[in-house]
Amino acid sequence: MSALTVAEKSDIIEKMCRYITHGHLQGICLESIDGEELTLRLPYRDELVGNPDTGAIHGGALTVLLDQALGIAAICCDRVGPVLTPTLDLRIDHLGTAPAGSDIFATARVYRVTRRVLFIAGFAYCESRDKPIARATGSWVLMPELDLTGLLEPAHGEGPS
Amino acid sequence: MSLSDIIRHGPDAATLQLWLKKVPYAVYLDIRAEQHGDEILFILPADDKLIGNPTLPALHGGVVGAFMEQAAVFHLMARMSEPVIPRVIDFSLDYLRPTRLRDTYASCTLTRQGRQIANVSISAWQERSDTPNAIARAHFLIPEPD
Repeated sequence: MSALTVAEKSDIIEKMCRYITHGHLQGICLESIDGEELTLRLPYRDELVGNPDTGAIHGGALTVLLDQALGIAAICCDRVGPVLTPTLDLRIDHLGTAPAGSDIFATARVYRVTRRVLFIAGFAYCESRDKPIARATGSWVLMPELDLTGLLEPAHGEGPS
Repeated sequence: MSLSDIIRHGPDAATLQLWLKKVPYAVYLDIRAEQHGDEILFILPADDKLIGNPTLPALHGGVVGAFMEQAAVFHLMARMSEPVIPRVIDFSLDYLRPTRLRDTYASCTLTRQGRQIANVSISAWQERSDTPNAIARAHFLIPEPD
């Protein structure tokens, strides 16, 4: 599998962000691509609040964003190609609190690929990536027999559906 | 009345509903709770807006995690003699099978409650409670009561 260009990755990520119904409704979108690292953005909304007394974002909203960022990193990994990669496990360390009113970013990178398993890590931040509010690590199962290329064909117009 | 004020009263089925109504994200996900004797059953009703994989269709894995985390928070609060809102330290989630677009249930076990730290195990299922779709455990920091 040859490395994907930034434009190709951008295309895959944007299609996946539209394909994943819940993420799309949350407004989760591509923020940037830097080599093998991708960053998604979750726009702030009042309904993401988990602690009504402080206005802090719900930990579960971070779980949604991080699960999606790490999962999409699996799909557009240079060493894998667009195949189905179900999540095996996900661990999140909550290092801080997302303040009320802030958009949240999640950065993810595949750091190890074996024949059957992808090991992926990422983090979430608000103002600066040097001040992460959460760290995530997880394993994804590689299922090369379940090719997603059909879902990502441009012929589908508005993306995979 | 703030959530902190409400949780000073011991939980029954009605107060659990009241707690859930105070958390905007729990309202958005439409999480419900039922009291069965000593057990609390949490329910995430099926809804198209929760879909992660429209082809299967299956719920977004992150939503399943968010539901389980909220269940753990309220289960822990319900077991406190003086309930306060705990802060999640870490959350570890194992996905065992796809969570289809149907109602999902969760129940929790307070594995250990110390003075400052609590460990909660969560199981989420759809068909049968002995075949979970996902299991998780979480550590919480319990703030000192005001």
